[in-house]
Amino acid sequence: MSGRDMREAVLRKMSKSAVDLPDATVDELVAYLEDLHNSALDEGASEAEARRRVMAALEESTFSVLQGHAAKHPDRLHAARADAMARTAGGRNLNVLSAIKLAVRQFRQHPTFALVTVLVLGLGTGAATTVFTVVDSVVLRPLPYADPDRLVTLWDTNSEKGLAHDPISPVNFMDYRALPVFSDAAGWWRPGINLTEPGKDPIRVNTVETGGNLFDVLGVRPQLGEGFPAGGPMFAQGDRICVISDRLWRTRFNGDPSILGKTIVLNDAPHTVAGVMPAKFHYPDDIDVWQRLRWDFTQHSRAAHFVEAVARLSPGTTFEQAQSAVHALGLRLEQENPRTNKGWNARLIPLLDEALGYYRPALMVLFGAVALLLIIGVLNVATLLLTRALSREKEIAVRVALGAAPRQLVTQLMAESLVLSVVGAGVGIAATLAALPLIIAFTPVEIPRLAEAAVDMRALGLCLAVVGVTTVIFGLVPALLLLRTQFTTDLKAGERGSSKGARRVYSVLVAAEVAMACALLVSSALLVRTVGSMMETPTGVNADDATISTVQLSPSAVGAPARGGTIETVWVPVATVHARILEEIRQQPGVIAAGESNFLPFSVGWRNPFLIEGQPRPARQEDLPQAQMHSASEGYFEAMGAVMARGRTFTEFDNKDSIGVVIVNEAFARRYLSDGDPVGKVIRTWATGIGPLGTHLKSPPNYRPPPEGMPSEIVGIVKDINNVPLGQTVEPAIYFPQRQFPFSEVFIAVKATDASVAQTAIRNALRKIVPNVPMSTTQTWGERFAAKTAEARLLMTILLFFGGLAALLAALGVYGLFSWSVALRTRELAIRLTLGAKPSSVGALVIGQSAVLVVAGLAVGLVIVRLAESALTRVVYGVTTTDALALATASALLLIAAIVACVPPAVRAMRVDPVEGLRAE
Amino acid sequence: MTKLLLDRSAIDAAKKGSADLFILALVDEEDHHGYEIGRQIELRSGGAVTFTMASLYATLYRLEERALIKGRWVEKAGQRRRRYYRITDSGRAMLATQREDWGRFIAALTEIAGVKPAVS
Repeated sequence: MSGRDMREAVLRKMSKSAVDLPDATVDELVAYLEDLHNSALDEGASEAEARRRVMAALEESTFSVLQGHAAKHPDRLHAARADAMARTAGGRNLNVLSAIKLAVRQFRQHPTFALVTVLVLGLGTGAATTVFTVVDSVVLRPLPYADPDRLVTLWDTNSEKGLAHDPISPVNFMDYRALPVFSDAAGWWRPGINLTEPGKDPIRVNTVETGGNLFDVLGVRPQLGEGFPAGGPMFAQGDRICVISDRLWRTRFNGDPSILGKTIVLNDAPHTVAGVMPAKFHYPDDIDVWQRLRWDFTQHSRAAHFVEAVARLSPGTTFEQAQSAVHALGLRLEQENPRTNKGWNARLIPLLDEALGYYRPALMVLFGAVALLLIIGVLNVATLLLTRALSREKEIAVRVALGAAPRQLVTQLMAESLVLSVVGAGVGIAATLAALPLIIAFTPVEIPRLAEAAVDMRALGLCLAVVGVTTVIFGLVPALLLLRTQFTTDLKAGERGSSKGARRVYSVLVAAEVAMACALLVSSALLVRTVGSMMETPTGVNADDATISTVQLSPSAVGAPARGGTIETVWVPVATVHARILEEIRQQPGVIAAGESNFLPFSVGWRNPFLIEGQPRPARQEDLPQAQMHSASEGYFEAMGAVMARGRTFTEFDNKDSIGVVIVNEAFARRYLSDGDPVGKVIRTWATGIGPLGTHLKSPPNYRPPPEGMPSEIVGIVKDINNVPLGQTVEPAIYFPQRQFPFSEVFIAVKATDASVAQTAIRNALRKIVPNVPMSTTQTWGERFAAKTAEARLLMTILLFFGGLAALLAALGVYGLFSWSVALRTRELAIRLTLGAKPSSVGALVIGQSAVLVVAGLAVGLVIVRLAESALTRVVYGVTTTDALALATASALLLIAAIVACVPPAVRAMRVDPVEGLRAE
Repeated sequence: MTKLLLDRSAIDAAKKGSADLFILALVDEEDHHGYEIGRQIELRSGGAVTFTMASLYATLYRLEERALIKGRWVEKAGQRRRRYYRITDSGRAMLATQREDWGRFIAALTEIAGVKPAVS
């Protein structure tokens, strides 16, 4: 009777008595039976007799008394259970369900390991799912318009001036619109609008005056009413009609359906409400009122860039075809109209990109970052499981030797990783569900469509995919590694053989972690530099505490007739009332300075031609130089903390009755008046007014400028105030005094002891001087400026967090690898020490190896950064993606972290006792 | 029948109570594996005390759980590996106590019931 027979007899008995015994116990019982069998033979019994005694001993044994006891052997506890489970599941085929049960039981016995693994995975999948949900809702979902991917926005560009995204000229727009690559295009501009009704507080509403075809181009219909007549005119001088938003309809008009056909008063003019748009429709951004255009776009100037536009590509036209058609037309227009179009062209931007602006590349970068983080987490867990599997190598060797089928082992390891992955993904989903509402509520910037983000099947699908991949990586890789070992080496040599291969796999995993951590750290370092250079950008003002508000004076507010006004009846009162408001504000207690301007820093003024008296006049009017024209009151530069470089600032005496004066900025002085003192020079301009927005009070009554232009004397030079978007060079600018060149809508800047004092002062002044004019919301300039960098700062914060986490995980990986490898190489190190190596050189060996690993990782990391360059370039500012400082900082940080992480193992290596070490194996 | 049953159960009870003592005493002499332990007890008691395989191992595991004995796997060339049991310090203390208790019990049996220890 062979040992195998006896084992089978024991197993039969076990299943007959429904008892589940550990493998080790079965081994003991079989050994007992063998001894019994052998001693029977020794006593001279026949094989049949010996066999009978064995069967009798089995027969009289009651296995149930053994239940609950097990042969003590820590290494074998797990194997014992695994094999026991395998048996109860019916022979050698390990039932998947029981393998899972076993894995769960095992993790409950070693909770620390399971906890760490599940947490790393949970945080990784949680972060990834959250970011994916946000990306999905903000970037990937189509816009709620008909065929949204056929929609493009149209912008003017000027390479000479470094402008890539400027409003378009209405005349040029009409030419582009006629191109066959578009099936239609709609343009609009943004007048400042006050909404007034008797008995209600006046409010400012965000308004566009738009071509009547806007909703047709977008393919959106009003929820109520007809809207602008379909196929109707782009503009109609006669009837004033408008469409309002669902929000305005509900908040201002109580959702009253009889609003249709009624009139509402916009800037003193009654408009008929022709429709209410669906909820959440506020195109182009936060619009509540769409007025139909009342003037002809073609009857304007090619030099005035203030129209925004959206176009629908005609069927069959690709984006590239449309872009090149637009570009070709732009070149032709430049040739035909050199005076107005020199240097100007146009570009298309897909509507979604336009709507998302910075967020699209930012979210893609974030998505990449979170994916890297997740991969690092997964690799980290994989290395944990790998070392754990390697420490179980002997157990597995024994089981293979005892006849465990490879499939059985793989099933078991896969079951373990499946349990970890599923629980980890569960934690991740829970984290996402918890985090998403918080993110939506607390994001410090307005991300378009973020509020619509919700965890859905796609996010869950992503989670499942992660589970699938991690299960395979965690389970299959260690299993195959171990099994390959087992089949190629015998039990005792197996350890060293496999360790070598395993160390290679392990090193690659850790190097990969380092690489990804490097990519993350470099990205976050680039964002830190971006925010740094944004904050350092000279603004030319020192006005963090200045309170900014806007005010719009309609004709009725200044007592002017609604129609047919003249400069004397409309614009002189506008200038006077603005001056009175400011005087009233300055009277309020606590106010230090107050002023008004039609543009704030970082906004581009109206570009118009000018000529400096005494300089030669070009033969053609179109060759005159152009400069930005702003209008500012006395007190504005003071309130904004701008510095006069020379001359004087505006005073209340710079009014329509005094000579025309201007202040220019340093860029202007440098470019056009570099020789001699600019103060006292006279410049001539031809701009009598900017449409309905503002008017030069010294214009002739018919608004036709005299051929020689209108003279203004330069009385001062102000140090450059930024008048272009972040990242562009300040343009030459001319500031007119507001008392000579008033605008109806202006920004009020108030410097006071306190922001609330300033706010009260503005409110009191408006109430007293113009009770029908609403006060807009106020913000300090500091807040407004911070908002410009908020997006980059948010991205920076998140990336820093991810980068730190990644570096920590990578350092842990390095620590784990070297701890393990030092423990494994104790013997080798002992031999080195015995042969006279100094402990310090042994320590240096370990540190050197880790340095090699980390440097390799860093190199790969920089390659990853290279691959991500196209997305990164769009979110950084003031630095390049190859910024040496950022790369060096990130690499140095990671290198230090990794070397610190391998100090403990290195010290352990130095302390190896040669004698103990040699004895260890 | 009844008498026989009673006899058997009396011996069973004694066996149960004394099983620990037998095993501890045996492994106190030298390390043994399971089969040897059972075999020695049977031989030395002249067949009066026998364990089934299951009850032998149940007792061994119970003693091991109470840390009175300790098993370790020993592999020898050409042989199936076996588990050898050795007594621990607390096992030795327990053995001394049990020897004392049983000594007093047997003295009482001799004195009162006239039971004499068998002379081997």
